[in-house]
Amino acid sequence: MNSNGAIRIGFYICHCGTNIAGVIDVDAVAAYAASLPGVVLSRDYKYMCSDPGQDLIAQDIREQGLNRIVVASCSPLLHERTFRGAVERGGLNPFLVHMVNIREHGSWVHEDGGLATTKAMDLVRAAVRRVVHHIPLERSRVPVHPDVLVVGGGIAGIHAALTLAAAGKKVTLVEREPSIGGHMAQFDKTFPTLDCAACILTPKMTAVKAHPNITLWTYSEVTAVKGSVGNFTVTVKRKPRYIREDLCVGCLECIDACIYKDGKFADEFNLGLSKRKPIYVPFPQAVPAVPVVDPEHCVHLKTGKCKDLCVQICAERNAFDFDQQPEFIDITVGAVILATGFTTFDAKRIPYYGYGVYPNVYTALEAERLVNASGPTGGEIVLPDGRAPASVAIVHCVGSRDADYNRWCSRVCCMYSLKLAHLIQEHTKAEIYNFYIDMRSAGKSMEEFYNRVSEEGVHLIRGRVADIYPETANGKDGHIGRVIVQAEDTLIGRIRKIPVDMVILSVGLQPQDDAEDVRRMFNISCSAGGFFLERHPKLAPVNTFTDGIYLAGACQGPKDIPDAVAQAGAAAAEALALIDAGFVELEPNTAYVMEEECSGCKSCIPLCPYSAISFAEDVLKATINAVLCKGCGTCVASCPSASIRQHLFEDAQIFSEIEGLLTHA
Amino acid sequence: MDPHAQASADWRPRIVAFFCNWCTYTAADLAGVSRLKYAPNTRVIRVMCSGRIDPQFVLDAFTRGADGVLIGGCHPGDCHYSEGNMKLLRRVHLLRRLLGDMGIDEQRLRLEWISAAEGEKVKTVVNDMVATLQKLGPLAFPERAAAWDLEMDEFERALAPAAALEEVTHG
Amino acid sequence: MLATEEAVEQMWGVTLDRLYDSEEGRRILSCIQCGTCAGTCPHGEHMQYPPRRIITMLKAGLIEEVFASDSLVMCVNCYACQSKCPRNIRLTEILLPLVKEQTIVRLPQMPPELQKAVENSYRYGNSQGESARKRALWTKTATVPIRILADDPRPVDALWFVESDLAFHPRGQDVARATARVFDALGADFAILGNEERTAGDCGRLSWEPGLSEALIDYTMSILKKYEFRRIVVSDPHAFDAFKYRYPMFGFDETVESTVSYVHRDLEKIRPRLKKRLEYTVTYHDSCCLGRHNKLFEEPRELLLAIPGIRLVEMVHTRENGLCCGGGGGGMWLDTYYKARGIERLSDRRVREALDTGADVLAIACPYEISRFEDAVKVAGAEGRLRVRDIMELLVESFGDA
Ligand SMILES: Cc1cc2nc3c(=O)[nH]c(=O)nc-3n(C[C@H](O)[C@H](O)[C@H](O)COP(=O)(O)OP(=O)(O)OC[C@H]3O[C@@H](n4cnc5c(N)ncnc54)[C@H](O)[C@@H]3O)c2cc1C
Ligand code: SF4
Ligand code: SF4
Ligand code: FES
Repeated sequence: MNSNGAIRIGFYICHCGTNIAGVIDVDAVAAYAASLPGVVLSRDYKYMCSDPGQDLIAQDIREQGLNRIVVASCSPLLHERTFRGAVERGGLNPFLVHMVNIREHGSWVHEDGGLATTKAMDLVRAAVRRVVHHIPLERSRVPVHPDVLVVGGGIAGIHAALTLAAAGKKVTLVEREPSIGGHMAQFDKTFPTLDCAACILTPKMTAVKAHPNITLWTYSEVTAVKGSVGNFTVTVKRKPRYIREDLCVGCLECIDACIYKDGKFADEFNLGLSKRKPIYVPFPQAVPAVPVVDPEHCVHLKTGKCKDLCVQICAERNAFDFDQQPEFIDITVGAVILATGFTTFDAKRIPYYGYGVYPNVYTALEAERLVNASGPTGGEIVLPDGRAPASVAIVHCVGSRDADYNRWCSRVCCMYSLKLAHLIQEHTKAEIYNFYIDMRSAGKSMEEFYNRVSEEGVHLIRGRVADIYPETANGKDGHIGRVIVQAEDTLIGRIRKIPVDMVILSVGLQPQDDAEDVRRMFNISCSAGGFFLERHPKLAPVNTFTDGIYLAGACQGPKDIPDAVAQAGAAAAEALALIDAGFVELEPNTAYVMEEECSGCKSCIPLCPYSAISFAEDVLKATINAVLCKGCGTCVASCPSASIRQHLFEDAQIFSEIEGLLTHA
Repeated sequence: MDPHAQASADWRPRIVAFFCNWCTYTAADLAGVSRLKYAPNTRVIRVMCSGRIDPQFVLDAFTRGADGVLIGGCHPGDCHYSEGNMKLLRRVHLLRRLLGDMGIDEQRLRLEWISAAEGEKVKTVVNDMVATLQKLGPLAFPERAAAWDLEMDEFERALAPAAALEEVTHG
Repeated sequence: MLATEEAVEQMWGVTLDRLYDSEEGRRILSCIQCGTCAGTCPHGEHMQYPPRRIITMLKAGLIEEVFASDSLVMCVNCYACQSKCPRNIRLTEILLPLVKEQTIVRLPQMPPELQKAVENSYRYGNSQGESARKRALWTKTATVPIRILADDPRPVDALWFVESDLAFHPRGQDVARATARVFDALGADFAILGNEERTAGDCGRLSWEPGLSEALIDYTMSILKKYEFRRIVVSDPHAFDAFKYRYPMFGFDETVESTVSYVHRDLEKIRPRLKKRLEYTVTYHDSCCLGRHNKLFEEPRELLLAIPGIRLVEMVHTRENGLCCGGGGGGMWLDTYYKARGIERLSDRRVREALDTGADVLAIACPYEISRFEDAVKVAGAEGRLRVRDIMELLVESFGDA
């Protein structure tokens, strides 16, 4: 290896097809680089990140005795790893390379080629000066804890957990609600195949419960996360259900026994379309099949005075425990998969659609419950007054594609609206009117599904609904009056005012209300709309910027079940790759103390968020534990005697960069 | 020749930017991926966290001829290392005072919290800062510093006999 | 979407050929042809080219065909399309007025009523064609003293811009007198321009010829320069809108408030005076300019609810989704034109909605509406069943000492 002695820098600039070369004069930059002190070789190449591009570097190192490399191309966040690898293959320490970002920060954001070229030259000059100060570094390794945490038990979380468990990994699945299943558990059938949701979901749910490698904690939430990749300590709060899961056999006799003979309180799972008792399971196939007691309404919990018929019937099974308290449990895992899903747009926010005002205006999720055979009406589509509707309007894009609400297309609404059209027509023979802006049927079998529903005679009207109002002033004789759905039929250029018995609002998908808190807790980022941000949309779609934390399902963005499951598989694979490697290599960008210079003032010690700095009482100097240090560099910048330094971000490196940027050669 | 010595018609402000790896640098990448267009006046130096930014970096940039320094970090509460950005904020407050004493307009040092999703904000902040600096004109700190050095030299020369005397008395 | 002053500022002086020079104008390119604008427009079904089609025609270079149709004569400037457009396209603020101007210029014959209103405004400073010297006449029958600045030019806190409908129309004058009483009860320091006032110019150039509105704006600005005041309080929402969004183009930068918010701010001062119970069921009609365009939804309702005894009920179309009375954008002078084309008057539709609520009072805060709705009540044969009252009138009625 030739890292000492005379500095011999190799410089490479990438065309990236026309991505860079179309704006920046790469020849000029290469020629300029060749003129800089220390540069002994300067090349341009169409695609530096391709194999031949990388080989070029490795070969030049060997043949030309290069000992520092500068690559001007895309963002180091994308390809730093690639070029470090190339340098290593050339026989040089991988940390002797530095990248210059002339694509994301250059050709893609500037229109004036001349100015973009000047900027590139400035950056190259800075990099050439900086790389001189690079020294060989070694990566340290930390072992990876083999267990995985999956947060959220919708279809995505379920699939990820089962995949990992099948690979022999121990998984803890934490679900906030009393049962796993997520939104899919609420559906009757699923597009595009129209297969029964319960038939495909229930077996997976029971498999979760049965799998020896999965610990299922429902009615639980993560409250704190510490540590980092390979070694997270996670605190989970288990809310009291007042029934011991280990003793309950799931006979549900207690629910029948409850002093409330009928349901009295809004049933969350049915979105308030039915009533439940203070002791309940959210739905018949719930997993675990253990009831929950709702402390807001349970007479025993509220007053202490109840006949406790439930407890009596439970008898020797002895599963009741009214003294249960929230429990906080710490677990250690090496990786985390977030699968917290989505919530639907609140239709009340668009007042002119009359949700919450007219009793016959429903959301799609409510409609899903109505068409569900195990739903509040046993699968009958009926209005609140008990009649079956003769006409139904389905309004697409509610809250989506709208600058005043959510800008994005929610991706699944067109297809689920067609699904509902089909199901309701099948159940009621009603006339169905789907009002859409654009019919989005991308994806396997979706266009075919669209064809099928069109052929069934559903009226498809191209126009966004502009107004919904009652046909007559007041509902007569207790009947719920029809409402008029008004829109421009843009294909015939007429305003249509269609009176219907029932309206279904196809509400869009949006981030969970607490997505921001969850994001903070796991130290990841969100995209502009608030969904969790993937590391790279194409190259790392289930990774986050925090190593060891992966994304699956609709928490990353609106998607359908097939995509959610595919993504869950990918997230599980990423976690497996991490665990099976057994260790992670840490970026050697840790801070270290120059002992001779440390004055022992201790001011750095409280600055470190990871308590990596301690005070060596024997020598009265600070010392840094490299394993704990995450490399933020805060202590480095704060040390009054400048005696803390940071690998890869040495003062000398940064000062030479500043100097390089501002001094014209 | 230093092309920045006078405010000629084609003078363009030079901005040295320090962006943290996790939020603002990523946001700048996002601006690129989204093909947003902004002024080509910034030169970004990547640090892992805005907490790494030493006031010396900023001063050095000004003394070497930067017309402005832009610091970008994660929003409060969002720092990848929990609160490096808050540590930086404290430093920036002190630094502002110092810059004021040095006659450097406070608008020349700008601190912005830009999250990884805010590519658009990179664009608006850079454009806005360029417009501000365009109005303020060149800082030309190296020239000023050279003038100060001259002054100091003369001052020292004037003091020299006295100092020599002092030495004599001491000795 | 609603107006922001900055956004409107961007569009000052914009013409159709320079539409894409500004960010606000370029928004038009993002239209997704959803038809919400056409679907919500109260006259949408009568327009050959509703806003959605105007945008496609413009993009296709066929805008002349739009000018040649009379589609935009139907636009009553109600902001409904703009407020619902999912792409936040500034239809009512920017695009439609530009198209409307060109449409009216090309009409073979200007609708006579509109023509008359324009001429009157030129000659007399009011669309009614009343003598400018009679503008302050109503003050003679007011029960509180009203300072006229020409007579007493001392600085004043609130310069009350009365506007023509309040000054000349007999029912408007009732409202003017009531407003004066409310101001007096607030202990407000207020004064009017009196005969020096001329119409502020509708919502600016939105309905008529730009030349006329510019002349009126110039005039009003020059008169205002003569006096010292802290704010202008405007009774007519159309004039309020003009002061807020159109006048600033010409350098106007005074504080503007609508009568409703001015009174609302000091509601507590008059609350003790609201003694007489008014056992009315009231429904409130949101004027487009106050409501949709300036988001004053709660203030007028809170004023009404401050009156003891009043029960407030809502019409089907309310607040953001309110239905225009049909008077805006020149609609005030186009009733005959619309009628000839078989278009039902919006005020008739609105009054039916009011009747459907079972209310006995239709409360309003815009002087156009008094005459429009009172007429529509007659048409509906509901005289005696539904009374049209300005909020200021109801407040005064509750003072109980008139
Ligand atoms: C009306 C409607 C109909 C649809 N119909 C279809 C269809 O027919 N076909 C189809 O393919 N797709 C359909 N979809 C889309 C489908 O719902 C999603 O693709 C799917 O639910 C995504 O699964 P998920 O696991 O990512 O999220 P979710 O189903 O939302 O599950 C997320 C789970 O995480 C839990 N959770 C959330 N936050 C936390 C937390 N902080 N801690 C612990 N747990 C948490 C939730 O309680 C939930 O159980 C439809 C969507 C809607 C709105
Ligand atoms: S509402 Fe807006 S987006 Fe929709 S057609 Fe009209 S102008 Fe276009
Ligand atoms: S402003 Fe009102 S009347 Fe004019 S086009 Fe828009 S919705 Fe129609
Ligand atoms: S990581 Fe962005 S400011 Fe600390």
